[in-house]
Amino acid sequence: RVHLVFSAAATYSKPRLATFWHYAKVELVPPSPAEIPQAIAGIKNILTGVNSGRLGQTTVKDAFRNGLVCTEVLMWFYIGECIGKGGIVGYAV
Amino acid sequence: MVPPVAVSPLIKTARYSALLAGIVFGKRRYDELKPIAAEERRIEEEEKKVREEQEKIAKALAEGKRPCLFLRDYWQICSHVCSFK
Repeated sequence: RVHLVFSAAATYSKPRLATFWHYAKVELVPPSPAEIPQAIAGIKNILTGVNSGRLGQTTVKDAFRNGLVCTEVLMWFYIGECIGKGGIVGYAV
Repeated sequence: MVPPVAVSPLIKTARYSALLAGIVFGKRRYDELKPIAAEERRIEEEEKKVREEQEKIAKALAEGKRPCLFLRDYWQICSHVCSFK
């Protein structure tokens, strides 16, 4: 029966959705307006670090980790592009 | 379960501004590419029509018959051949 398939899918996905929501509530929320000045301060921090040469002292481990974070941020751009162009692969012109 | 990590505000703003920038970029590029593709489709259709006419003539010649052209078709073929950019 079809409704058995749906109920099985629901019972399978509920705990997993619950864990996803548990983490997403903290990690994936957009920045609140109070956090935007902190972000700007963070950018200034990085710029002073570049100018003073402090960033040259980062370990390879830290640099690799930061590189992964930057890559993740760039991937969000491509997801936005997929949303904007209304498709996943290619432009539907 | 591992407690959720507190993500730094810089990363959060960077993520969501990258998402917004991507949406805007995708929408703009789509609007720019759509008329170009429509134009190319139109030109392709015209060329296809001319090619089909020429194939009809070649087929008629290969069968040994004189190709039956109306003056209208002849005029269309000449004007298409002359008007390619």
